Amino acid sequence: MTVTGTTFDDDTRRGWRPGRPSRASLGEWITANVILVVLVGLIVAIAIYDTDFISANSVRNILTNSSTRILVALGAGIVLISRGVDLSGGRMVGLAAVVSASMLQTETYSRQFYPDLPALPLILPIAVAIGITTLLGVVNGLVVARLRVPPFIATLGMMVIAFGMTAIYFDQPPNNSQPISGIREDLSALGTGQLALGPLSIPIIIVIAGTAAVIFWVLLEKTVFGKNVYAIGGNPQAAQVSGVNIVRTLIAVYAIAGACYGLAGVLEAARTGGASSRYGELYELDAIAACVVGGVSTAGGIGRVRGIVAGVLVFAVISYGLTFIGINPFWQQIIKGVIIIGAVAFDMSRARRTR
Amino acid sequence: MTRRSGAFAMATASMLLLSAVPATAQDATAAEGGLPVADCAAPDKAIGVAVFRFDNEYLSLVREAIGAAAAAKGAQVDVVDGQNSQPAQNEQIDLFISKALPAIAVNQVDRELANVTLEKAKAADIPVVFFNKEPLPEVLSTWDKAYYVGAKAEESGAMQGQLVIDYWNAHPEADRNGDGVIQYVMLSGPADHQDAQIRTVESIKAINDAGIQTEQLQREIGDWNRAMAIEQMGAIYAQHGDAIEFVLANNDNMAIGAVEALKANGYFGDSGRFLPVVGVDATEPALESMRAGELLGTVLNDAVNQGQATFNLACVLAGGGTPTAENTGYAIDGQYVWVPYVPVGPDDIQ
Amino acid sequence: MTSPSTVSQLPPVMGAMPPDATPVARSAGADAAPAPLLAMRGITKSFPGVTALDAVDLTVRAGTVHALCGENGAGKSTLMNVLAGLVQPDAGEIVLAGDHVRFASPAEAMHAGISMIQQELHPVPARSVMENIWLGRFPRSRLGLVDHDRMRRDSRRLFQGIGVDLDPDARAGDLSVSQVQLMEIARAVSFDARVVIMDEPTSSLSEHEVQRLFGLIADLRAKGVAVIYISHKLEEVMAISDEVSVMRDGRMIGTSPTAGLTIGEVITRMVGRDLTDRYPGRQVTQGEVLLDVDGLTSPVPGSFRDVSFRLHRGEVLGIGGLVGAQRTELVEAIFGLRSIAAGTIRVDGREQVIRSPVDAKRLGMALLTEDRRASGVVPTRSVFENTILAHMPRYANRMGIVDTTRARQDAVRVLGRLRVRTPSLRTPLTSLSGGNQQKVLFGRWLLWDPEILILDEPTRGIDVGAKFEIYTIINELAAQGKGIIMISSELPELIGESDRIVVMCRGRLTGIVDRADATEATIMRLATDSLDDEPSAVVPGA
Repeated sequence: MTVTGTTFDDDTRRGWRPGRPSRASLGEWITANVILVVLVGLIVAIAIYDTDFISANSVRNILTNSSTRILVALGAGIVLISRGVDLSGGRMVGLAAVVSASMLQTETYSRQFYPDLPALPLILPIAVAIGITTLLGVVNGLVVARLRVPPFIATLGMMVIAFGMTAIYFDQPPNNSQPISGIREDLSALGTGQLALGPLSIPIIIVIAGTAAVIFWVLLEKTVFGKNVYAIGGNPQAAQVSGVNIVRTLIAVYAIAGACYGLAGVLEAARTGGASSRYGELYELDAIAACVVGGVSTAGGIGRVRGIVAGVLVFAVISYGLTFIGINPFWQQIIKGVIIIGAVAFDMSRARRTR
Repeated sequence: MTRRSGAFAMATASMLLLSAVPATAQDATAAEGGLPVADCAAPDKAIGVAVFRFDNEYLSLVREAIGAAAAAKGAQVDVVDGQNSQPAQNEQIDLFISKALPAIAVNQVDRELANVTLEKAKAADIPVVFFNKEPLPEVLSTWDKAYYVGAKAEESGAMQGQLVIDYWNAHPEADRNGDGVIQYVMLSGPADHQDAQIRTVESIKAINDAGIQTEQLQREIGDWNRAMAIEQMGAIYAQHGDAIEFVLANNDNMAIGAVEALKANGYFGDSGRFLPVVGVDATEPALESMRAGELLGTVLNDAVNQGQATFNLACVLAGGGTPTAENTGYAIDGQYVWVPYVPVGPDDIQ
Repeated sequence: MTSPSTVSQLPPVMGAMPPDATPVARSAGADAAPAPLLAMRGITKSFPGVTALDAVDLTVRAGTVHALCGENGAGKSTLMNVLAGLVQPDAGEIVLAGDHVRFASPAEAMHAGISMIQQELHPVPARSVMENIWLGRFPRSRLGLVDHDRMRRDSRRLFQGIGVDLDPDARAGDLSVSQVQLMEIARAVSFDARVVIMDEPTSSLSEHEVQRLFGLIADLRAKGVAVIYISHKLEEVMAISDEVSVMRDGRMIGTSPTAGLTIGEVITRMVGRDLTDRYPGRQVTQGEVLLDVDGLTSPVPGSFRDVSFRLHRGEVLGIGGLVGAQRTELVEAIFGLRSIAAGTIRVDGREQVIRSPVDAKRLGMALLTEDRRASGVVPTRSVFENTILAHMPRYANRMGIVDTTRARQDAVRVLGRLRVRTPSLRTPLTSLSGGNQQKVLFGRWLLWDPEILILDEPTRGIDVGAKFEIYTIINELAAQGKGIIMISSELPELIGESDRIVVMCRGRLTGIVDRADATEATIMRLATDSLDDEPSAVVPGA
């Protein structure tokens, strides 16, 4: 028997008291940031195998390799948070890569995509490429929000359309589906150049991806738009009743995603020194996997920029680290798969335990 | 997906390629551009051409070569895209057969399933010319109106090996550690791809057969593409650094990826540092890279002659004839036409 | 039936009474007293940061209706979740008919004869009624295929046995809330349930349907089933139960026979103090017309049509009616969530076209929706984010960046005023009790400071104390000159809180009653106005 007489004082009915919540314990922090733990664990494991792995060069290479993937994952991530899914990302990367590269070839290159094109200012073809993918993103948003086509279907359609557009553009004479190369120095500088910051020199592509991540963090965590995206993802009806403009917000979500893919495509052309219609193939699935591993819920409403970036880095560390230590590349696939499933299974079990 | 030929633009493409490489030796009647012209009448109906996927860079060249050959002959071709799906391609073959086309040329999606295509053609008595993807010999031999036009993959490996041998012998400084052994990195294509397997093995075999010892520092499996090769080479270079004496890649995209990764590590251009990298395919970006003094060499998989030979055979067969060296301009080896690879070394560029 | 040793093992339940509660002897006639079928002893359960159950005992006898009362968060639902196998206790034991049992899953509990009918029902909407009932144990034919004929026959026999009128082949998604509930009860009975737990079963039922449910409960009791009945509606508790157990703050306060109790006593135990008046009084000073609805008609046949009423400043306008009266549809149309075919809406004398909630908000309207889970709570977000959801632009600068410090201050103010119990603002909203969730949603609109506040069943599933707080706030808002529309299916609340009551029946407005003239009888008559000639339409959608 637990009742010890009456305690009918008002204390038991006290209202909510404002105040700072207690600091979470280390255990709770680890549970909440499992992806960072996995990331550190991977790095430690590889470093134990080969201590040379820990070097500034490795950090630079891993971050460089992650840069375009971070952009694609940010786009895929914001769509997932809005309770959608975007399968068209990879093909938009390819489209933007081909479009930007085709207009930024050196005049001396023997196989010109546009033989008579005068030298354009760098920003123009980049703006055209990103503009096109942003526009396709707007179309995705309209189809999802206005026509109420499920996002999986809408973006599956867009994936095919975007590839078709790329293939037609790429196949036109005189190019005839040949890989585009001989891109201008100023474009390739975006992908391979360094930015001197005092004694440090940081690859420009990392700076771009990092800036994008910061912008996304502000956008999602600090702005009305971002909070609306989370609310729509969490419960679209509640958001609607609360007066959130769902259609406008979703269109913006898909458009922003499209812009990310476009920028990623331009940088993909810049860092590889060329482009072809196969560029970006299946990047969308890598991006979704990185998001999911980084704690973004495929059911919508949950996900943070920190997790998305960490998710991309996990995969980049795996592929770079295992190549570095020379492990059979097929093992990478198995390890990646295990991490995808493991991360989500962990999230699910955590969700069950807390409620 | 059907597309009428008439790609005159192809001529430019082939000229560009041919200008970059020595013209292949041909003894048959040479038309303008140096290609053999078939001794056949243009059939009334189009010749069906099934390509495994339109977005494949190499096959785009072959497909345009076929188109140009047909245009030169005043013949029509019906070119379809198999979209990398064998079931889709089978339906296209059925369509060709139902149209009763006089001959079909097939670039199988899956070479192991060429027997299905052959059975269908045989049942309708429509001659079939396979190209680029070789049917199993026991399949091809079941019908005398079936031919194969392609290249011997071993040759590309051996020629790539020869490029390495030539450079090694002419440049003692290439042996960085002076041990007389080539320490190399191999960037392979997908493990299940026949050409990738053959090129990986044959190139090293050719070097060893020439009496040069080799040591593989690392081998990575890529997907023929540039972005992945950049990342792989970046990691490999971080591990092995200047111990690497040679990089062999199964195709040019991956070779250029390796070049890009090395550039990021201070090679080529104004640096004065050089590391020999060889590829296969002789794509335009590869040739451009060679002109810039980066890529050492590549091997031309002769798309123009493959396309021309495919059309010539199909045209002769469509007219009811039997292909010979005389009426096709290509040497017939039983049911095979082997279009030779062409090595492209530093001396072949300008 | 009961061995004396079993009885002696049971804890002295009556001893758990607080000193001020009147201990009443076990119901008269000891040999007629039903046997203790179920005993839960020392059940303890902690969630991170909360002790939900603290050594709780509960004894339930066969053939009785045992009410379980307590405020939101008192631990009733958790206790029942333990019993139904949804939650594993940290400590304690369960004895069912003399056997020690432990249920790892709801399926195990069901097969042992314990069925729970949840407050929020989860049917498989796209499948038929009978498939929902026999899900997990479909009858098979000899070929191993599902035997649909037998399933249909079994369902019919089941429905007849308990007097439920449902079509086994109807799609579950087409049923009304009350029909789904009947389906769930039938499903529970089909397991030969010995204990049936009902969590707020009448929260979405009309008066008529409540009576039907009570008939069904009486039948179950007569068959020897023990019914554990959780409800905030104390009138119902008094009407249907044999015994009442009261919980507070995760502890069992005590169990008494209903016969010796008054509602006041139960409330006193629940809240730990006296709540003399359940409806706070209010000075009514009606101002000018704020909202004028004229001839509003839905494009959907059978929905609301030709509805006209006026809402004044300082007025609480109640809307009463049975389920299917289309009250929710009406207010959703006013709020721009549904389209209208005809009629006009004037706000402050000016005619307005309201196409979306964005428009409605601009006109100073707010809507607290009926279905908290479907259209209120954003489950993935914190208490704070849920509170500020409707008015983020107010806290945003030109860049669209939200000033969280200012928003936080306002949220603290509003939630404090509503006495929301939450560990922190960062706590996920879904980890609060149902009543506290509802208060947060109420707070969402208070923060907006609307002129016209539309409340659709604002106190559903909320405990008495919280109800009183919400009534107080409604009165304050009215005193400030706001207009309030309140849909309620609880007649005492409707009469106690409204200045005038609009009564609807099957989409039509059948009368507007002043508070002075309002009795439960007049409202029920208007609410069933057109039903006399169509008895089959008691449950619309049937």
